[in-house]
Amino acid sequence: MVSSIYIHIPFCSNICSYCAFTKQFYNEKLVESYLKSLKKEIDENYKNELIKTIYIGGGTPSSLKINELKELFDILKIIKLAKEYEFTFEVNPENIDKEKLILLKENGVNRISMGVESTNLKLLNYLGRKHDFNLVKDKIKLIKELGFNNINVDLIYAIPNETIDDLKKDLDNIISLNVNHISTYSLMIEPHTILYINKEKNIDEEIDFEMYNLICNTLKENGFNHYEISNFSKFGYESHHNLVYWNNQEYYGFGLGASGYIDNIRYTNTNILNEYINNFKREEEILSLKDKISYELILGFRKINGINKNDFYDKYKIDIHEVYNIKELLEKEYLEENNTNIYIKYDKIYIENSILINFIGE
Amino acid sequence: MEQKYIRNFSIIAHIDHGKSTLADRILEVTNAISKREAKEQMLDNMDIERERGITIKLNTVRLNYNYNNHDYILNLIDTPGHVDFSYEVSRSLAASDGAILVVDATQGVEAQTIANMYLALDNNLTIIPVINKIDLPSADINKTKKELKEAFGFNDDEILLTSAKTGEGIKELVEAIIERVPSPDGDINKPLKSLIFDSLYDSYRGVLTLTRVVDGELKIGDTIKFMQTGSTYLVTEIFVYTPNFCKINSLKVGEVGYVVASIKTISDVKVGDTITLEKNPCDEALPGYKPIGQVVFTGLYPTETNKYNDLREALEKLKLNDGGFTFEPETSEALGFGFRCGFLGLLHMDVVEERLEREFNLNLIATSPSVVYQVLLTDGSNIMIDSPEKLPEPTKIKTISEPYIATNIFTPSEYIGSLMELCQNKRGIYKAIEYLTPERAIIHYELPLSEIVYDFFDKLKSISKGYASFDYELIGYKPSNLVKMDILVNGVKVDAMSTIIHKDFAYNRGRVVVESLKELIPRQMFVVPIQAAIGSKIIARSDIKAMRKDVLAKCYGGDVSRKKKLLEKQKEGKKRMKQIGNVDIPQEAFLTVLKGEE
Repeated sequence: MVSSIYIHIPFCSNICSYCAFTKQFYNEKLVESYLKSLKKEIDENYKNELIKTIYIGGGTPSSLKINELKELFDILKIIKLAKEYEFTFEVNPENIDKEKLILLKENGVNRISMGVESTNLKLLNYLGRKHDFNLVKDKIKLIKELGFNNINVDLIYAIPNETIDDLKKDLDNIISLNVNHISTYSLMIEPHTILYINKEKNIDEEIDFEMYNLICNTLKENGFNHYEISNFSKFGYESHHNLVYWNNQEYYGFGLGASGYIDNIRYTNTNILNEYINNFKREEEILSLKDKISYELILGFRKINGINKNDFYDKYKIDIHEVYNIKELLEKEYLEENNTNIYIKYDKIYIENSILINFIGE
Repeated sequence: MEQKYIRNFSIIAHIDHGKSTLADRILEVTNAISKREAKEQMLDNMDIERERGITIKLNTVRLNYNYNNHDYILNLIDTPGHVDFSYEVSRSLAASDGAILVVDATQGVEAQTIANMYLALDNNLTIIPVINKIDLPSADINKTKKELKEAFGFNDDEILLTSAKTGEGIKELVEAIIERVPSPDGDINKPLKSLIFDSLYDSYRGVLTLTRVVDGELKIGDTIKFMQTGSTYLVTEIFVYTPNFCKINSLKVGEVGYVVASIKTISDVKVGDTITLEKNPCDEALPGYKPIGQVVFTGLYPTETNKYNDLREALEKLKLNDGGFTFEPETSEALGFGFRCGFLGLLHMDVVEERLEREFNLNLIATSPSVVYQVLLTDGSNIMIDSPEKLPEPTKIKTISEPYIATNIFTPSEYIGSLMELCQNKRGIYKAIEYLTPERAIIHYELPLSEIVYDFFDKLKSISKGYASFDYELIGYKPSNLVKMDILVNGVKVDAMSTIIHKDFAYNRGRVVVESLKELIPRQMFVVPIQAAIGSKIIARSDIKAMRKDVLAKCYGGDVSRKKKLLEKQKEGKKRMKQIGNVDIPQEAFLTVLKGEE
């Protein structure tokens, strides 16, 4: 049963140098027609399920004007929320304000995710971000004052020319914000980004590795639980929405370039705005049992606790040890197991992909 | 045609001295072709020949010329110009009675001038020395004359001057051929005796056998016998090439032509064999040719593994008209199925590789060329090794000997010092220096063949700004301090990367190989030692650090299909690599070692 929805807002007031996601400059007219199409997509597809998690991401959802946000929430009125739910809204420090936050609060948003990325002005400039750490502190304070107690901040590391000391400072600053969820991403210079076009080079692998270890150790020392390869949270504040992905559960994806997983089909909407508005298009992947198991493993092993063996059996009626080369990977000590779960050995998670490719294809 | 009106001759020269252009002018003067017809260098009909300015395959043209009111037939038997093809040179010379020795007036006598001259003298040919390219401003006729006189003892008035470009002196040359080259001897009344000196495969007619009748006559309808193989065939057609194929009814003593018989495969035709008649055979076969040895070996592999059969077919077809190379199937751990091919020399190897790629549209990977080593085992037996992988364990080896060559390097005097240094670095043994003139010298060295198979020629040319030329002949085997250097990846020996190398060079080479492999092999999930070893002794080592970052961080907006695609791509990349010792090795890594690149 579907109980999660992702909604994509592709507009931004500023394009960051590293961003490879579906996005474009904010434009009033486009927002208007986009919201109409979004409404159509939701109305046509949503089947009245009781929803436990909603995630509004971007782009920059907070780049919408207050009246546009109101319209967005009107569109979402048809969605039936469960008693216990998690409703996340992504914001950028420079375009979130009290008025917008109050509107979010009134419309049921109970989790804010802020793109902090760094607290170092030099690195923020490199990333093409338009805020500084003082603004972040002010906005986090405001968010808390308005009663949001579930806050995530994103941190990017391994930025070219970043030093270990820069990262230490970033971590100290971010910890000082006293939020309950931190996502950290090692910078990938991907095609179709400003950094890629400028032929920027990734930081040395050894430094990247050292930084990852520093993050894991520092955050754990400060009471965060490392529960997914790049996510840390205080107890009880894991992202329920993201866990839906990693648990290989179904979800709706609405909006430009959004992905969803419904009735054995994984789909991705077109990321061309015209196509989305005028002749709605999407790519679909119809999953076989084998595909589902493959996804179960490559997603499930992102979690530090890995995959619950009983749940796996209940879902697929096969012992997890019998699929792919799980046994061999256990023997080689890339995987480990306890009574309930099977997971990637903690000192091997930084080479996760090399392990996950075992679960691809034949 | 009566014997006394026939002349069979060849043209010999150092590469690029204008042999083919001269041949074209002779064709024009004898009206075999008009000037307009003359694509540049008519006789070189392979693309590579025309581009490289060398003649590889034999081509024999029958020309008509009226001199002093008599019609003459002149058979121009073409020869390859390069030392590697001395086998083919000698077989075309065996069908000739005279040779035109062409020397470039701007270059003078060079290495292959001498080598080819000696081959011609071995065949008792009458030599007509010709100084060509006299039209060029930089031509130095006097100096060239002096060199010809000093090197071979010609007289001033024997030497002809030509410009193949302007046509000057060509008529005189043709008439000198008639006057000086003897007519073929032999007896029309004796039983047929005819020398096979080439064969080629034509997709319409099948096998064409090129032959010179030494005694008797060969007619359509004759049942002929190849004396060496003992097989018999019915002659169905006879051609001469003018340079168009013209049918004739018979070949008489002294004549040269192409014979079509019911021959199935080209391998039935042994160049050097003697044709006679089945019913009325001659007593004794012609001496034939000494069998040729392949001195340079390399592995040839198709880039796409499914092209193996195409490669085999191509090699078989090429072999039809190039007896000089050999091939046998070979399997390489890294490159899959291919062939170990043997060649007469380096240029021969290049030409065959290029013909395979060009005429047969194949993409090839060639491994680093190697020579044949003679290995004396501790049990007293001798074995020949043409590939490092076949070398026995060091404990079973008493000595390894390698082929040596004697080389004559022709050079302007100013490069003598640098060229000697080059030879010294290649383990050369100095023999002598001869001055042809104060400005030109011949340096004599003995060198291990293995040292010249790789980059000697390129270095020689670059040191001398292109002016030096060299020629070599094999002088036999000498024991050397040779070792087999193995490469170990994660402790496992990679057979395809083993090389035979002089011990003094092993440490250096080992370090270079290990360092370049370190760059070419991607990081793995664990530390991977790369080692170079001689037997059990490690001579160089470098470690590939363990992979540090292999995580797709952001699983954005639930777009897990994209994540899967990226993993699929990563898996594809891994599949293309060869797994040895649990390590994924990309093909470039093998190639770098196999090609001897640095």
